[in-house]
Order: sequence, then C-alpha cells, then structure tokens
Amino acid sequence: MPPKPASSKPKGDYIETDTGNKVARRSQLYGTQNIILGGRTTIQPEVCIRGDLVRAAPPKDPKDPKSGASANTSVMVGRYTFVSTGSILRPPHRLHKGTVSYHPLKIGDHTFIGERCIIEAASIGDHVYIGKGAVLGKMVIVKDWVKVLEGAVVAAGTVVPSGCVVGGRPARVVGEVGDGWGMHEGMEGGDMRELWRSVG
Amino acid sequence: MSFPYTYISCPCTDVSTPINGSTEQNDDEEQERTFDPRSPRANFSLYTLEHLLYCEDCQQIRCPRCTLEEIVTWYCPNCLFEMPSSMVKSEAGRCTRNCFNCPICIGPLAVTSVHPDPVQRSLLGPWILSCGYCNWTSLEIGWQFKGLQDMRSEMGKLKIGGQYKAANSKTSASTPPTESTPDDDPDSVFTALRSFYNSQLSSSNATDPLLTPSGGINYSSPSSLARIMSLYTGRSSYGKKDPAKSTPMRESVDPSEGLQIFDPASDTAAIEKLRTQGWTSTASTAQQTEQKHPPRFTSDLRPTQAQLRTKRSKRCRTCRHILVKPEAKVQSTRFRIRLVALNYIPTITLKPLQPSPSTQLPLLDLNALPVLRASQFLLTLKNPLFDPVKITLGTPAHAPGKNSHKVTILCPQFDIGPNADQWDEALGDNKNRRASKLLSTSKVEYVGGERGKVAEAGKVWEKGRNWTTVVVEVVCQDVGEDGEGEDVLEIPVFLRMEWEGDTMEREEGGSGSGGGGGLKGEERKEKRELAFWVVVGVGKVGRLEGPTLAASP
Ligand SMILES: [Zn+2]
Ligand SMILES: [Zn+2]
Ligand SMILES: [Zn+2]
Ligand SMILES: [Zn+2]
Repeated sequence: MPPKPASSKPKGDYIETDTGNKVARRSQLYGTQNIILGGRTTIQPEVCIRGDLVRAAPPKDPKDPKSGASANTSVMVGRYTFVSTGSILRPPHRLHKGTVSYHPLKIGDHTFIGERCIIEAASIGDHVYIGKGAVLGKMVIVKDWVKVLEGAVVAAGTVVPSGCVVGGRPARVVGEVGDGWGMHEGMEGGDMRELWRSVG
Repeated sequence: MSFPYTYISCPCTDVSTPINGSTEQNDDEEQERTFDPRSPRANFSLYTLEHLLYCEDCQQIRCPRCTLEEIVTWYCPNCLFEMPSSMVKSEAGRCTRNCFNCPICIGPLAVTSVHPDPVQRSLLGPWILSCGYCNWTSLEIGWQFKGLQDMRSEMGKLKIGGQYKAANSKTSASTPPTESTPDDDPDSVFTALRSFYNSQLSSSNATDPLLTPSGGINYSSPSSLARIMSLYTGRSSYGKKDPAKSTPMRESVDPSEGLQIFDPASDTAAIEKLRTQGWTSTASTAQQTEQKHPPRFTSDLRPTQAQLRTKRSKRCRTCRHILVKPEAKVQSTRFRIRLVALNYIPTITLKPLQPSPSTQLPLLDLNALPVLRASQFLLTLKNPLFDPVKITLGTPAHAPGKNSHKVTILCPQFDIGPNADQWDEALGDNKNRRASKLLSTSKVEYVGGERGKVAEAGKVWEKGRNWTTVVVEVVCQDVGEDGEGEDVLEIPVFLRMEWEGDTMEREEGGSGSGGGGGLKGEERKEKRELAFWVVVGVGKVGRLEGPTLAASP
C-alpha cells in the first residue's frame, strides 16, 4: 500500500503511516502509488525514490488503467529497513528491443542504506548493510547478510553472494561477515527495531 | 576507523589458559597480566563478537583460529550453480557456465548481441562480452561468439585477435610435423609441454626420479615427492640406485612438444610497444594475477571465468563438535546449527556520557577526546542468557602505551538480569511495552539529565531487564605530536562472568540446536564461569588546548 499520512500530529519532521512507516517530510517520493513500504520503514530527509520509473504497462486493456496495479510496483522497501539522508532509489532499466524497460527494485527487511547511496539494484536482501556513498549499479543483486563497504561501486549486473563483504571500485568480495551477522540488535546488519523507534 | 568499537580476545591465544575450558586455575596470575592491544600478537586474537562462536561442550569461546572448516558446497556466486566437488578440481575452481569477469576491472561481463538488426538482438548472435563498469568489450581482442551454449570451450579455442587456434594436438599429430606452425598461445604451449613431460616421466620412471637429466633436482614429479617423504620418514629402502645410471631425459625439440624458440623480434616489439603506448598499456599486478598465463600488456588479457565460492561448516578444534552447519542448498541462507558467541556472552557497547549543559563544556567528540580533563562514558553490557549473570570487570589503572591515560570503571562488579524468553520477546515488540525500560544506544545522555543523576563510584548507572550500564571515567594525557596510532585510546577490560546455568546433559550426537532441548530428568543448575579480555576502542585523544593557546590568535 502507498504511504498514507496519518491524520494525527501534523508537526514533526516525519510522517508516520498506519503501518508505522516513518517518511521524512523533506524526502522526495515520485510515483507514490508504485512504491510499497513494508511497514516500520524509515525514509530520511533528502531521500529520493523514483517510483515513477515503472515498467511500461502492457498495451492490452487500455480502458481500465488500474488493471494489473500490482504488476506496476516499481520500488518495494522491506520492514524496518532504513534509508539514510541523500540516498537515491531508482529502479534499473535496460534496453529491450530498442525500448527502455524498467525493472522493479526490491529491498528486504532490516536493511540499512547509508547516506548518499545510489541504488539501481534489482534486489537487495535482508540484513544488508550498505555503507555511506556506495553505488549499486543497474540490475545488481545483493543476497541476504551482506556488507557493502563505504564508497564501494558495485558494477552493473553483479551478484553479491550471501554472507560476503564487498568493497572497492568496482566492488569485489573482500571478506566474509561473521556467523553472528544479523543476529545482533543495534549493530551493522542487525535488528533495526531500535533504530526505527529512535526516529522522529 | 570509527569509534567506539569493541573487540574480544579469544582465550585460545593465551597459552596459559587450559584448553579444556576450565579457567579456575591461574586466576591470580591472569588478572595480573594485562592484555596489551598494541602488542603485535594482539592482532591475531582480537575479533568482533559476530565472528566468534561458542562451544557448549568446552564451554569456551571459539574463534577462526580454534575452529576447523569443512567445505559443504561449492557454488558460483554469479549464477548460483552448485558444482559437484568431484568436478571442482578439474575445472580449477571456476564456473563452467557463461559467468565471466572483465580482464581489465574484474567486474562481471554481460553477454550482448551485436546483430545488426536491433529487434533481432535478443535472439540472434553473434554475441560479445561487455563490461558494464569500464566499458571493455571482447571486441577489443577481436572475440565474437557464435553461440551461447558453450562459450567457455569456444573461448578456449580463440586466440587474442579473434583467430581460432591451430587445430588441436590430436589432429596435428596426424599431419606431418613439419607443417605444424608454431602456436604462440600460452594455453596450447602449456598443454603441449605438459603432455610431453608426462610421457618423458612415465618412460624414465625406473630411474631415480629426484634427478633430472641436467643434474638438477626435480621436486615436481610425484615419484620424487615419494622419495623425499621416504627420506624424512626414515625408510631408507626406497630408490637405492646409483644416480649415474639414470637414463637421460630429453627436452622438447619441436613446437608440437611445446618448444618455443626465443624470437628477438618479440622483444623489440615489446619495447616498441612500451615506447609508443607507455605505462598504461601494461597489465597491472592485480590484472596479471587473475590470468592463467600472465601477459605483459593489457591488450593480451583475456576474460576470466568466475571463481567458485564455498559454504563451510565449522568444528571446535578441541572437541570436534560441530559449531556451524549451513544448509547445503546454495539458495538457502539458513543454518542447521549455529552456535554463535553472541548468544552466550554479553554484548558490550560504549557511548559518551555528555557533560551537563550547565557546565558549558563542549560535547565529547570521540575523534578529539579532551586532554587532562575527566570524561565519562557509559559502558553497557547486555545479557543474552536466560539466567542472571554476575559480572566483574577489571581494567589497568592506566591504559597501555607510553601515554598512560588514566582509566577507572566506577562500578566494576554488578549483576545483569536474564534475557526474556521468546514469548516475552514477541510481545516486547508491542507498542504498549515502549514505556518499559528499553536499551537505547542512539539516545544522547547527559550528566544530570534524568532526575539529576550523577555518576557515583560503586553504583550502577542504569539497569534494564537484561542490561546494565556502568560509568567509565577516563583522563587522557597529552599525546603531543606523536601520531602513528599513539593518539588512539583503547582500554583493555578483563571480563569475568559467573552464572548458574542448566546442566547440559545432551545425548551424544544430539541435534545440538542451541541448548535446553535434551535435558534428562529434573533441571539442575550448575555454576558456570567464563573470562576473557575485551578491548574497547574509545576514540582519539585531541590536542591540548589550554586557555593560553585559545587566547593566542
Ligand atoms: Zn580462538
Ligand atoms: Zn556461474
Ligand atoms: Zn571492466
Ligand atoms: Zn569444543
């Protein structure tokens, strides 16, 4: 469901939706009808989400524009996922038979996206930590329990396997996360409930 | 490095700690010796909590040094194809599908069609490999692929420039040897050389394998390795032959046997290329290490096949019990067994206790800690166990290093409550429970902030259900212009925890699903104890800024 502003509390920097999403007033969300926030998701100020870049609707059934609305989701952000200031979430596109075709961008739960990241990935898993200023190229797939180091540039089309630490330009696997990754509240890759509570 | 951080020293590096896990002996001794995070040895024992495991049988922390790894699955990280372990060696640990890496930047290569008609491109070739990061394409070395089915073997036949290699060795053997053109492709030269030497070795097997015809020692053949092993194991009966009697082995004399005649023209060509194209045309060390046969110039680099990755299980090195066992399937990220230390030992976090706003002192900056003035920090320990834990913290009065910053833990002995069980945890997510004391590491706290609370010696700062916070006071000395890490304040803390745990009467070979399951009869409590060193990285010591300095501009 698209984020709907709750009726109460007009003040404050964040709008809290019925499902507990905290969306900064100073964030830019385009095409909100195509954006799904999983609940208790945090969108910080100056975050830009390009929900308007949606896969072209199938040419059939022009009478009912609402048909296949579920297929028209362009950005999905999971529960307790945190998108930091200045980041851009942009569905990836590719040329298909000479036309630009957008692919939805899916982000899992308890995933942290650092400040000023540019995300054009196809999918990002759960408990992923993306460091400040990282760039995830078009159609990148990041599996669960991954750490992307600060400033990494993950080349377009890269698949980052589960449990890896990637860094560099272009990013390559530089290590592995510990076996306890993602089980640790308040730490990188860990449970993000507390971070969500602290917002707003 | 960002502050603060916490590292735990695995007790396995401490040779005085008995391996069987009972830390009761040498107690006094242990406390007298201070762990020095600056010693070169410390690098090999410090781990973050998430990297540590816990062996329930040894009742001890286990780190990568004191665990054994076993490979469960080999898979390609790019296409997630699981390779049977029997194939891994013959394929040199590389993916056999169309997973290739860029020779220039090591990014992944995409397969794209260069069919003249853009509409046909999704179906028809020819195909090329292209890098989405540095824009390299296989056209730069003249490579185009006819089909998508077996690009790997087609690649094996291609030379730099796009020509196909001279017919392979089997057909060239049937043609007259005078016809065979010298093939400068390193792959085919290597194959030819290898088959030549293999045939030579098998024919000269009867002789002493340690000596090559030239009189040098040949370490690389399996028979000579067997000979060397027999020398070291003392079985001198092996190979008592007179080396003088060995039949000489000839070297390759023909291009079909892998012979390459040195051509001075190639050197001049290389020098000429260096002169005209310069440094940028040469392959870097990183690029060369990725290649099978490292070339000199970037123009000779080939795409590489993606390297396989592994899923591994881990065992305790002491008792061989399994500590980590991932699900074998590549797609699954689950674990069957995962005994991680953070379910057994407290998590330790540090945050500054900001001076009261009324004092008008500047806020604590972890990258410039105040000098010669006491600063306070909140050290919070959170208990993952379902039993209450008694904690004793010990720290040297002066942090190690020549600057000897003064460190005091105001309340070194305290208790932590038990962790909630899963039902409480599930209910704890409820909004109604927000009022109950929750540990908040992100909240900024001030001296005297809440009901005028001030740090007192011997008193706990704050306590929650399964966590306790105490105050650490630090007085930094002036570090001057030393630099080189001397300005980093790291506090070694010796942590001892005591608790009454359930006795673990698990049946041998039981599921080991994390304890508690296989109890026989009535629950019995048993006194437990665990002790280890922790290093808390507090921050960087700032410059001394007295009123005289401040007034100078
Ligand atoms: Zn160890
Ligand atoms: Zn592959
Ligand atoms: Zn490249
Ligand atoms: Zn053990």
